[in-house]
Amino acid sequence: MTGHDVFLPMPLMVVSLGIMIMLAATAWRRSVERSFVGGMVSLLLALAVMGHHTGRMPDTGGSLFIQDRWTGYTAILIIFSSLCILLMAWRDAGHDRTTLVDEYPLLFMLGTLGALAMVFSANYMSFFLGLEIQGISLIGLAAFRHRSFMQGCEAAMKYLILSGVSSAILLFGIGLAYSITGSLRFMAPIVAGDLPAALPVAATVMILVGMFFKLSAVPFHMWLPDVMEGAPVPVATFLAVVSKIAIFSSLVRYFGTGDQPPFFDDILSVVITLTILGGNLLALRQTSLIRLLACSSIAHVGYLLIAFLCPGHLQSGAITFYLLAYTASTLGVFATITAFAIHEGPDGTAIMQWKGLFFRRPFLASAMSLMLLSLAGIPPGIGFFAKFEIAATGVEYPRGLLLCVLMIGSIIGLYYYLNIIRMMMAAPSLPSPRLNRHARPELTALVIVLSMIVVIGGLLPARAIHSLLPAPTVPPAVQDRMAP
Amino acid sequence: MNPLPALVLLPLMGGVLAWVAGRMRHPVNPSTHHASWWVVLATLSVETLILVMVTFAHRAHAGPWLEHFSMPWIPAMGIAVRLDMDGLSLSLIWLSLILCFVCLFLATRQVTAHVGAFHFLFLATLAGIIGTFLATDLFVFFFFWELMLVPMFVLIAAWGHEDRQRAAMKFFMFTQGSGLLMLLSILGLVIAHDRQTGVLTFDIFALARTPLSPALSMLLMLGFFTAFAVKLPVVPVHVWLPDAHTQAPTAASVLLAGILLKTGGYGMIRFNVMLFPDAASHFAPIAMGLGVAGILYGAWLSCAQDDVKRLIAYSSISHMGFVLLGIFSGSAMGMQGAIMQMLAHGLGTAALFVIAGAIQDRLHTRDMNRIGGLWAAMPRLSGTGLFFAVASLGMPGLGNFTGEFLVLLATWHVSPATATLAAIGLVPAAIYALRMVNRIFLAAPRAGLPSLEDFPLRHMAVLACVMTFLIMLGLYPQLFRTFSAPSPLSVTASQEDHAP
Repeated sequence: MTGHDVFLPMPLMVVSLGIMIMLAATAWRRSVERSFVGGMVSLLLALAVMGHHTGRMPDTGGSLFIQDRWTGYTAILIIFSSLCILLMAWRDAGHDRTTLVDEYPLLFMLGTLGALAMVFSANYMSFFLGLEIQGISLIGLAAFRHRSFMQGCEAAMKYLILSGVSSAILLFGIGLAYSITGSLRFMAPIVAGDLPAALPVAATVMILVGMFFKLSAVPFHMWLPDVMEGAPVPVATFLAVVSKIAIFSSLVRYFGTGDQPPFFDDILSVVITLTILGGNLLALRQTSLIRLLACSSIAHVGYLLIAFLCPGHLQSGAITFYLLAYTASTLGVFATITAFAIHEGPDGTAIMQWKGLFFRRPFLASAMSLMLLSLAGIPPGIGFFAKFEIAATGVEYPRGLLLCVLMIGSIIGLYYYLNIIRMMMAAPSLPSPRLNRHARPELTALVIVLSMIVVIGGLLPARAIHSLLPAPTVPPAVQDRMAP
Repeated sequence: MNPLPALVLLPLMGGVLAWVAGRMRHPVNPSTHHASWWVVLATLSVETLILVMVTFAHRAHAGPWLEHFSMPWIPAMGIAVRLDMDGLSLSLIWLSLILCFVCLFLATRQVTAHVGAFHFLFLATLAGIIGTFLATDLFVFFFFWELMLVPMFVLIAAWGHEDRQRAAMKFFMFTQGSGLLMLLSILGLVIAHDRQTGVLTFDIFALARTPLSPALSMLLMLGFFTAFAVKLPVVPVHVWLPDAHTQAPTAASVLLAGILLKTGGYGMIRFNVMLFPDAASHFAPIAMGLGVAGILYGAWLSCAQDDVKRLIAYSSISHMGFVLLGIFSGSAMGMQGAIMQMLAHGLGTAALFVIAGAIQDRLHTRDMNRIGGLWAAMPRLSGTGLFFAVASLGMPGLGNFTGEFLVLLATWHVSPATATLAAIGLVPAAIYALRMVNRIFLAAPRAGLPSLEDFPLRHMAVLACVMTFLIMLGLYPQLFRTFSAPSPLSVTASQEDHAP
């Protein structure tokens, strides 16, 4: 096999190369700034080479990677989010002198590489490798504050164990799928012949469970709030945004490229109902902002899954638009939090501490409200149109029950999002000196950019609606050939 | 240039300007404190000018729709910014503008903190409301419907009275939650239309022609109805209203009672009755029952209130019951009565809230047990209060009477029993209105009242305008009856000869 036979999307190459250079630079002389700059440059380069690839995709579909409009879209979202997160983390890493921190951007880059690999993968192997690269880098990142904040260790341990368990289940499922189809192609195992049906069902369910674990869909969600609370804020952002986009993108590719198994609808309906209600109800009682966002991100996964479950000609636009809306709004919320949070401990994330923020930091408080309203699905934020599209898919492919759940979830969501805004508008009771008062131009710029995306996306969404979901790439004839 | 988008955008832009003006500080010259106030005044004046132009313009085409504007917005979903104006929306926009002037002259000067932001939110609410009255694309309608709630929420939550935050949350949860039901109905209608014709559109004129099965049409109508019922408010879902009205700052109370509630009535006329005529007529008995329940329940509770603002809030529920009754009475007369009642209630209740706000500013209480005998100290305020209280109880010769009379007459043709029950509601109306007058204005003056400043003449001039309108509505309703009739959806403002 020669070099040009291997089909490789260029962004993957660029990011890997960047990571190697960063590693070499770290070995030569440690410098936080250089590490950050290296990370950002390689991410920007990866954006620049987004459409390119080396080699030629084999006609039979036996490639490790795949590149189409869907991968392009989600990869851009991932790289953009990583850039934002690196920007958020920049100052934090510089402030914390107790730990050696030039691994911090390096681990972020590794996580991004894993996410990208998942997005581009067309094969179980590359998918699983990507998943594990991302997971392992996240363990290191989650533990980053362990010296100053005990919960950091707990978060990392929890993530290590649960992620390991879920990977094991996933791997078992992959193994079963391979035993059925004899192929490592990344698609749901469907057998045409009269093989016992139990095996494909078991394989699919195990793979689904593994994916739901990573997506933190209820009932596999318990780890997310704890891990996000223990991790530094940028890492929590990474968990909430990048890793979810990556796994959701894989989920869409996995089940979107072929026929869906018959039991799929029922399982997914139950999971969606539980996810939306569970996430929202959990969020209702949280006093920590990060935990609240973790729970609400669980609920948002549920909304996304509704669109995923409702095939129709609105589906593709709805999924892509919702991903964009969720990414922009969530990044915005976390960027605002970072602007206040101090690196040590969980400070700045208790909702009580945000009392009266409108009077002290009107700009940031307004931006925060905008993002929260967008997450709640209220105009003029981008989230309004996104939720509208999700509801449209649900009405188009009639799913009355899920629509009711969507509505109830949205009303509950409205309550806790508004509660934060209400808190910010309340008269400040005590001066809270723990909030960060440093001027942070890079964060302000980031918040402005994200606010503009949110508002413009909400007012002129026409440009952002595209049908990008992967088309079934393999004709059914090939599937039959792959069956033993 | 087409005036309709200007009507919506102008308040928004004016609001931003007012915000900017409010942030400029000149410590030397305290009069710049009111810079944003002047900006709002200018905005409203220009807006009035545009509206006058629209009202008296010569029309190039014959037809019930006065103006039309359309521009593609999200072509992929068949969404366009479609604005159309007929008599109903025109009269309601006039009402909104008059009340905004009232707010501006009488109420917003009491706000001292963050004046610019207050004025921005005030105008943003107005923009949302005007957009709601004009939109004929269902998505655009929903967009404005949601949009007007956010600034109102902030107005209540940030500038309201002691328990403002809870009230604001309640207001937002109720209105927004019911709005989601309407969203589902909108989507259902659009997709049913798409299935039958293959055209994805949110254009209300196209959707009005969609043939629907009776069950589906009833279901969709109910989704709309719930959202509008919360806004109107209809009795089981009215619980947000007393709190919101009581806790809101005066200007927001006026906006809420005067205009925001009218969007509910407007929606019922335009969307329930005209978009789903059959389902609406099937549903009419229930709706009328709810209307009567609202009339009696609101009036009854209003009699038991000690808090002035709460009293007015409950009386609003009672008055809006007449609107619901009229809309679903199934006759043109009832519809006209409902519209008259909306206009009259908007003017009268807004003025009452202004008076209640003025009393609270001067005495720092809304408790009627602690206010008393204001007539001697403030004859002008008390006289105005008496006038509007009498208007509220439905004195012949004033606008409320016309509205209630038309509604009762129309109801009588449908069901005499319902009409009788609704008419009984007028008895407690007299009780609460006169009780308020008695205790606040006419009772013996309380000992230890501070020396109070009466309404200055310029305030009286503004209120006199409102009174004039009410009297005109009462004495010569014919003018408004022809002017404010809603246009049928079967006739469109033809797009070809009137495109922008």
